[in-house]
Amino acid sequence: MTESMLSLVGVGKNFKEVEALTHVDLEIKSGQVIGLVGGNGAGKTTLLRLMAGVMEPTKGSVLFKGERVSSMRSKLGVVPESTGLYSRLTAWENIRYHSRIYGIEDQVAWNRVSHFAKQLDLTDSLSRHTKGFSRGMRQKTALLRALAHGPDILLLDEPTAGLDVTSARTVRKLVGQLRDEGGTVIYSTHHLAEAQQVCDRIVIVHNGTIRADGSPQELLELTNKNTLEEAYVSLTSDKARLRTEDDTKESKLAKWWRIFLTGKTPNSMEVGEDE
Amino acid sequence: MSKSWRFISTIAKKEIVEFVRDWRTLLALVVIPLLIFPALFIALPLLLESEAAELDALELEIIWQGDYNSDLEESFNDSNVKFTFEPLPANISNLSDIGDDLDRIRTLETQAIFRLQANDSEWMFAILYLSTSEASNEARSRVITAVGEWESDVVNGTLVEANLDPEVTLNPVKWDGDWESADAATKGEQAGLALSLFIPMVIAIWTASSAIQPSIDMTAGERERGTLEALLCLPCSRLELLAGKWLAVASITSAGVALQIGGLLFAITYLASSSIIGVPSVSFTSILLLLVAVVIFAVMVVAFELALAMKAHSVKEAGSLLGPAILFIIFPALFTQVINLDTVESWWFAIPLVNILLAMRELLLDRVIFEHVLVWLLSSLIYAGLAAWFAAKQFKREDLVASLS
Repeated sequence: MTESMLSLVGVGKNFKEVEALTHVDLEIKSGQVIGLVGGNGAGKTTLLRLMAGVMEPTKGSVLFKGERVSSMRSKLGVVPESTGLYSRLTAWENIRYHSRIYGIEDQVAWNRVSHFAKQLDLTDSLSRHTKGFSRGMRQKTALLRALAHGPDILLLDEPTAGLDVTSARTVRKLVGQLRDEGGTVIYSTHHLAEAQQVCDRIVIVHNGTIRADGSPQELLELTNKNTLEEAYVSLTSDKARLRTEDDTKESKLAKWWRIFLTGKTPNSMEVGEDE
Repeated sequence: MSKSWRFISTIAKKEIVEFVRDWRTLLALVVIPLLIFPALFIALPLLLESEAAELDALELEIIWQGDYNSDLEESFNDSNVKFTFEPLPANISNLSDIGDDLDRIRTLETQAIFRLQANDSEWMFAILYLSTSEASNEARSRVITAVGEWESDVVNGTLVEANLDPEVTLNPVKWDGDWESADAATKGEQAGLALSLFIPMVIAIWTASSAIQPSIDMTAGERERGTLEALLCLPCSRLELLAGKWLAVASITSAGVALQIGGLLFAITYLASSSIIGVPSVSFTSILLLLVAVVIFAVMVVAFELALAMKAHSVKEAGSLLGPAILFIIFPALFTQVINLDTVESWWFAIPLVNILLAMRELLLDRVIFEHVLVWLLSSLIYAGLAAWFAAKQFKREDLVASLS
């Protein structure tokens, strides 16, 4: 029987007055690959950050095996969209830096990394500085870094975005292998086909709410459609909002300066552009 | 090893390794601090000396216009000045009126023109020269020296003719003995006074300025490069992250300041061997308190700079914030130099930055005044605590997780 790993209960997240996520209930069980699918600004990254424990929910709770996830970060492996590699360090130094913070012996981390590096065809590049790495190599290194301490759950934020076909395939293959070995992976993407290929369960996120949650077959049955794309379109038919975090980025001072210099408020600028 | 220390030391080590792998950093934080004082105190005087020797060796040619005097000619010869005679120009209102000689001087056809006129019982003279030319200035200087010597001979001759002793007549009030031996301050104390005028300023300005680059790189730089989000996902707390980064910046800054002081001590040792300055005599207590003052200052400045840099939304914005912030160090550092330590009130030792700078000045003079120490120590600890609190507040911000790249 699969145990519950991560549970989100009545989770809401606000950025100042903007509601980024509204009443999210989600139960993640071990041994599953769950795809978070949604368009830009849907709330996938915010949801992943809440699951990673780097953000606190405004409402509700995010629990890892019954404990607050922010205190259980050592059990998670995270690959953010930006990969977050230090260019003046080698790939192995990047990995070792994180694994040391996780309290893993260098030799243990090396053995684990070597195993996965072979599959990702990255063994020869581990001693190279990551400055010259391609997007694919960076993504693979970030994956190795997230796996080095043997996490219970792997959180991947758009892991194949910007990758070439071969690299994307390698990453998907590794995720499949992790699932076969009983690992739990949460995989954010906006490619339905990829989600269908990799994930056991798809969670459709739209405008900060969960619109559907189930296996690809269950989603088709729920919407009475023939393809996942049609199912997705019918579930997300209302107009997508703007990226919620963008609204909060401009400081008050910058806003006043902009209005002073251009004489336009954001609304009047939009009207002007439309005209 | 405790868990927290493992986090802090791992973060600090990585930051230092990554930082020193940039050759520009090594240049800015190792080579420049190490060489700046030897360059200032050794190379610059040597250069000036060699330039002066070069000027001394110059054979200068001037034009002597007007009346002749054989004694003065002798003085000119002793000063290595060659001259050619000319009559005084007719159309000048006084000897300083350059008149038609303007072009000859401006084109350096001659380095200077010396004009002399006998007038009853006195001599009138003027030197025409070009102040923007070093050779012309040197010619003027040599002529003035020669004229001074000649004048002295003339005065002495007149006094002797009047049956007066030139020495007693011209110098009736004299210092008795060696003036240096009348100073109760030791050589070491004098050296301490000299150093107290610039060491606090150097430490303050260098600590603040050398912490800027690493502070920005490790905060706004991480956000901009998108590496901060991965770091925040690790199982260490934000305070441990701040402590690790603080330790890295403080280590890098301390290394820079230590190298600079090393260079300074080397320069002082060189100057001491030349008897220009002595080695300061400072007690063990003063040295210890000096170190405490520097450490508290570093805690405060580095925490404040990390906080400001973390508050910024980009490397560019962080640079714009921290660049002008250095003025808040430079101005107090300059003002502190003119405060009279003999009559300074205790409340001065409670003013942020000024307190540490004054403390360093006093300690370099080996003055350990309990009341002052208590005030600067307590107030500095409060300011350092406030800076750390401000930094912690910035590091706990939730929006840090959002990459700026």
